[in-house]
Amino acid sequence: MSNGTRDMDRREGGFEREPARRVFAAELRECRYQFKEGDDEKSPTFVLLPTGERSNRIFLVGTLTEKQRQGEQNIFYRGRVVDPTGTFYIMAGSYQPEAMQQLAKIEPPVFVAVIGKPNLYQKPDGAYTVSVRVESITVIDRETRDLWILDTAAQTLDRIDAFAMGTAPDVVKAREQYPTMDPAVFRKMAYDALAQVRM
Amino acid sequence: MDYSETADRISRKFSQKGESVDRQKIAGKLRRLVDEFGVPPSEAERSVTNELAKEFNLPSMGTGGGSGAKEQRKIAGVAPGEWVSVEGKVVALSAPASPAIAQSGVLADDSGAIRFVVWTKSNAPKMESGSWYRIESAVVDEYKGVPSLKVHSGTTVKELETTEPLIPVPVPIRDLRPGIGSVRAKVIQEWDTTHDHMLQSGLLGDETGTIKFVIWKEPGKEMLTTGAVYSIFYAQVDEFNGRLSLNLNSATVMQEEGDIGTMSGGETTIRGAVVHIAPGSGIIKRCPVPGCNRALSRQNYCPIHEIQPNFVYDLRIKGWLDNGEKAFNILLRRDVVESLTGITLDAAKEIAENNPLGMDEVFLRMREMVLGRYLVCRGREIDNRLLVNTCERLAFSSGEHAALLNRAGGAP
Repeated sequence: MSNGTRDMDRREGGFEREPARRVFAAELRECRYQFKEGDDEKSPTFVLLPTGERSNRIFLVGTLTEKQRQGEQNIFYRGRVVDPTGTFYIMAGSYQPEAMQQLAKIEPPVFVAVIGKPNLYQKPDGAYTVSVRVESITVIDRETRDLWILDTAAQTLDRIDAFAMGTAPDVVKAREQYPTMDPAVFRKMAYDALAQVRM
Repeated sequence: MDYSETADRISRKFSQKGESVDRQKIAGKLRRLVDEFGVPPSEAERSVTNELAKEFNLPSMGTGGGSGAKEQRKIAGVAPGEWVSVEGKVVALSAPASPAIAQSGVLADDSGAIRFVVWTKSNAPKMESGSWYRIESAVVDEYKGVPSLKVHSGTTVKELETTEPLIPVPVPIRDLRPGIGSVRAKVIQEWDTTHDHMLQSGLLGDETGTIKFVIWKEPGKEMLTTGAVYSIFYAQVDEFNGRLSLNLNSATVMQEEGDIGTMSGGETTIRGAVVHIAPGSGIIKRCPVPGCNRALSRQNYCPIHEIQPNFVYDLRIKGWLDNGEKAFNILLRRDVVESLTGITLDAAKEIAENNPLGMDEVFLRMREMVLGRYLVCRGREIDNRLLVNTCERLAFSSGEHAALLNRAGGAP
């Protein structure tokens, strides 16, 4: 165990961890394009946000409104986390034992912070869903929720500004993949979210 | 090919010196070198001549290598691929890494220093640390970007009657290059060792920069003291992944009086959310052997000092702080952990000792308190890791809230 930990530490030295993007539920819901960087089996998968940024990992905060235990042999948990703009669908299965145990202990409704990986699925009827595979979930307070709304609004507005410049590779990709994307919609979304925070 | 002509030429040379050689044998050696090993004939001739010269103890017979081999050179001026002759002092000897190597160490003159390797096959006289030698017709090659002087069978080594003192000039850390370097620097930090054979690792700094240092375990090697200033002569400067580090095993290390400034302004502030708490956080046990302080395994096992039942408890948090653009590996020390979580070391000990989950309970409680929270961490960024000096929870700012509302609602 100690050897394993030390090896990991050594790797961490040169290892670039994928950052956790800040995104509101209403924007994540609009994702339609997922891609892989590199051909390797272990290359990270990215969901392209409509505002023009790749995300392999996201950090979200909201209210866990319900959770469900599912599966017979392979138990997994599903949950809904609500932010001021909409709902995130989260899940934790046997491949995320730590996250599953954390989620099993939490009783809704409660504010939670979730770190996880977004995945884009297409249902048989053609509709898309984005679900977040939980890496970790903790119960947090209202102040952290408010800080997240400020942080996420700021980063969403930053992305909208970069989108207007139109030069970044992910922005070019987003313009291709989301031809009808209207930055004003997401600007209003950020404003509405901020307006829900107590003054 | 016919080797008799070359063999005759070699044999004539030696008969002039009063030695008789077997022409057949020489021809056989030449054939072997050229036919079997693809050595160019001129090089084969040189090699066989040198071998015989050594056998008859006639160093002046060696034909030397390419041009310039006889010419005296300064160590700082030699380059990989050259045949050179240098005079220098053996300032360090290290344990040979393989039976093929008779000696290895560092040779220095007033211009600089270079690593050297004496092949066992060279039959060169044994060199003593602290003595001066003239090394003729050695080859400079390069390994991982570091030049090294190779003493082979064609090289002659002569001890010199010099007792000239040699004072190395320390260079600023910023100017170090792979090879051998001398610095005057302060131990800024000591790190956990990452290898069983490592005695100590950490960070050295002067006014111009910082560099990682490593001391491998060897008899007589001592650990450096954090905060102390040292003159370090003839350390190996290694390069890995574009980053330099100092191996002090070959070096002469002397502690200095007084203090020196180290590069300031290295303090970084990062604001972000804690997105991961790594195993090995919480309450940990450390090795009590003076100067060791390594984290012990669950079985109280220190990688160096084995089972240590009289361990010392400590607190730390390792994890990732993420600002949405980049994730930073963070390390919080005991005092930072105590002020952030409100759990003192004594309280953590009590939790660990009175709980069925033991030390894991402290890890879990701290994770519940810190994971997913916004923090402002200040510290020094080294090797992609932020060593946190102070850390606090980010506070909600109404001013920021108002500014964001304006920004979101302001433009059409």
